[in-house]
Amino acid sequence: MQSEVIIETRNLTKVYRDFWGRQKVRALKALDLEVRRGEIFGLLGPNGSGKTTTLKLILGLLFPTAGQALVFGRDATDVSKNERIGYLPEESYLYRFLNAEETLDFYGRLFNMPRAVRRQRVADLIEMVGLEWAKRRQLREYSKGMTRRIGLAQALINDPELILLDEPTTGLDPIGTREMKDLIIKLRNQGKTILMCSHLLADVQDVCDRIAILYQGELKEMGRVDSLLKVRGVTEIRATGLTPLVEEEIKQVIERNNGHVLSIGNPTTTLEELFLKIIRESEEHPGRRVRGVAEQN
Amino acid sequence: MVVDITDVTPFLEWLPVALLQWLLVVLLAGAAVLLLSWVFAAFRYGPLAAIRLCVHVIREAFVDLIHLSPRRILALAWLAVKESIRRRVVVVFAVFILVLLFAGWFLDPGSIDPAKLYLNFVLTATAYLLVLLSLLLSSLSLPADIKNRTLYTVVTKPVRAGEVVLGRIVGFSAIISLLLVIMGVVSYFFVVRGLNHTHVLSTENLRPLEGVVAGQPAGLFGRTSRVHRHRHKVFLDPAGRGRVEMEQGHWHELLGDWAEVLKKALASEKAEYTFGPPQGLLLARVPVYGKLEFHDRSGQPTEKGVSVGDEWTYRSYIEGGTLAAAIWTFQGITPERFPTGLPIEMTLGVFRTYKGEIEKGVPGSLALRNPQTGKKVEVRIFESKEFVIDVQHIPRTITTADGEKLDLFKDLVSDDGRVEVWLQCAAPAQYFGVAQPDLYLRARDASFIWNFIKGYFGIWLQTLLVIGLGVCFSTFLSGPVAMLATLGTLLGGLFHDFMFRLATGQTYGGGPFESIIRILTQQNMVSEMEPGLRTTVAQTLDQAASVGLWLLAAILPEFGRFSFAGFVADGFNVPGDTVLTYTCRAFAFLIPVFFAGYLCLKNREVAGQ
Repeated sequence: MQSEVIIETRNLTKVYRDFWGRQKVRALKALDLEVRRGEIFGLLGPNGSGKTTTLKLILGLLFPTAGQALVFGRDATDVSKNERIGYLPEESYLYRFLNAEETLDFYGRLFNMPRAVRRQRVADLIEMVGLEWAKRRQLREYSKGMTRRIGLAQALINDPELILLDEPTTGLDPIGTREMKDLIIKLRNQGKTILMCSHLLADVQDVCDRIAILYQGELKEMGRVDSLLKVRGVTEIRATGLTPLVEEEIKQVIERNNGHVLSIGNPTTTLEELFLKIIRESEEHPGRRVRGVAEQN
Repeated sequence: MVVDITDVTPFLEWLPVALLQWLLVVLLAGAAVLLLSWVFAAFRYGPLAAIRLCVHVIREAFVDLIHLSPRRILALAWLAVKESIRRRVVVVFAVFILVLLFAGWFLDPGSIDPAKLYLNFVLTATAYLLVLLSLLLSSLSLPADIKNRTLYTVVTKPVRAGEVVLGRIVGFSAIISLLLVIMGVVSYFFVVRGLNHTHVLSTENLRPLEGVVAGQPAGLFGRTSRVHRHRHKVFLDPAGRGRVEMEQGHWHELLGDWAEVLKKALASEKAEYTFGPPQGLLLARVPVYGKLEFHDRSGQPTEKGVSVGDEWTYRSYIEGGTLAAAIWTFQGITPERFPTGLPIEMTLGVFRTYKGEIEKGVPGSLALRNPQTGKKVEVRIFESKEFVIDVQHIPRTITTADGEKLDLFKDLVSDDGRVEVWLQCAAPAQYFGVAQPDLYLRARDASFIWNFIKGYFGIWLQTLLVIGLGVCFSTFLSGPVAMLATLGTLLGGLFHDFMFRLATGQTYGGGPFESIIRILTQQNMVSEMEPGLRTTVAQTLDQAASVGLWLLAAILPEFGRFSFAGFVADGFNVPGDTVLTYTCRAFAFLIPVFFAGYLCLKNREVAGQ
């Protein structure tokens, strides 16, 4: 049985018009998609493909020109749906004259949370995003990564069921990116539904269960990440402890069976993995140059 | 501008009528907005869909209003306060202090009415600064939030558009109120300190009065030392009772014993005595106004006095040396209310057809008449004093020219507590000009501090209107445009009366279109327009425009009327009914303004381009 549909768009269309009502841009064309409970859904596409517009339509920040966006079965413009939503915008649009505690407390009050609950929740979230040391500093003094983290904390202040993330890893360093991705997966494991949009393919590939690819406002592809990425007709064998002689023997076996060997060699790691490994090594052994990490992989 | 202070309808009488009118206007305006919205939506989505849309918006509005959360509103208000502090509102306070520091250069405590000067100054400075601050804060805040997209993180929480609007209004009002309180306290001490002075009386300056009573001099007369460009005359009777004459609206009390002063002065002993701080300078008179009627030169009742050609028709004139009179009828005159007699205060305008003795006032008389019995007695002959309040106290026992002794309440006040005060000018070919509030009975004095607070409360109401309008306009206009729109509305409100007269055809020169023709063809305002197509078209257009003007005049707030500064500076108590009436008016205006702001924000795309 398929799980409950959390977000549904039907023929969702958005046309931006100028002051005189003339059409300027057709940002989104008849989008139909469904996001189900407990999944991480990625909206993927280059800049200007309509990802953020879709997100804004789902949040009710924009009104559709045609079609409908439903969240928890209600119209996207219904304010009460926001009780169960957390939203991290593309840039962390926060009040820079507040400090971290004040920021989270303010957003907590917008959810009508009682003071005691709010206080506990603020402390927990600040600890979760690792900003205890800077919680009394005004956000104007925060680095981009810190602002992003406090932005995420405000999105989680109400312990939402649905989290909407607009380019969640923008502006984060590789460690921050990894932490963000780990956190997204952790939230999914807690049963939350996540809709994220990004143009960073690696991020989407790493965390998303399903994706939709948008281009020039149109849906080009949608499905499970693993099945979409599966290259049919090519077989991959990964093994350890093979000598060059054994490798040659395998090659011959493949050719005997009318197969075609595309390549045999050592796989490369991702740059992200390499970088994180170097940082981990450096933290364990300060002052020592890390060598040959790649070879060890 | 003269505020008609006699026209104070009791609040409870005014409220039901005003409430009904307000409901009617709000319903009509609501219906007009709904109709326009339907027409607009019908063009875009078709008539049936437009009806559905309108119903949806109304339903949503009800749901939103029911769900307004005080906690969220307070959170947003707190944010507005924080934002105001970040925008350095304190600077305004610094400017105010700076203005006060240099005020001493141009405020003359020796002027004819220093209290009025000082009070006018502090009230005006506070009002200007705070109205300007309210304008800036309220109209720039929301557009900045939309531009910086900080509003995205707010409206994606369960925050209703009404809460965003109300939160801002509450927040900005809170910060302005705080500033107002501080500025009020500082102003009070500035005024009291600025006006405070004392005089010294030297026994050397006391001279015997002419005349002898029982072998002794009739008394002593002298002048105090000169401070703030004035001296007070001092009279001492042989019994050792001293009196200080009023100068510049105040007098002083001696810090010492008058009998000792008399003793030392008679013994030619040199001594100096100091007076206390000024008395009667900061007042809140509670006047009782009468109904004014006129008699013409032959003594016949007439609707108005003579016009002396003043463009300002506020005052009407009575001719001297004739039977012309201005008659005020007062009600509720009882011995309990006026135990010592009738304290009449008057401010007369004088129109001279010949110069005469310019140093001296024009003679006039005051008479009291019992409207029941018709008994009339002349109680005062006086010389007019222009530009100041002339005080004439009529005692309870009056001796007529024939030596008859009359009791004020028994003989001159009717059984139902009415009395007529007749003012006549005695000098032929000279005129006294009067308006209804020019002569009143000073029943009692209210607390000045309380009156001062009322003056500041008026400023608070004005800032509230500005904040409401500023926030409302900023829900759909960009910052600078919202500011201009607010300013335009306020200026329109200042010309409210004129717009109303223009819309109802009470002005000379016709409406806007006829006026344009008159300007271009250099015709004066009262000449008949030449009949023809041009005139017909202009006058038809004017008729159409007058409907718009009338509506505009009905909607715009009479901004100037919310200021009670005139009352406070002139030393009159702001009637409680006036305060209550204008408080209700301010809120009656704010409610639809809030609703308009809510609808505009609710139906705009926050992330729209």
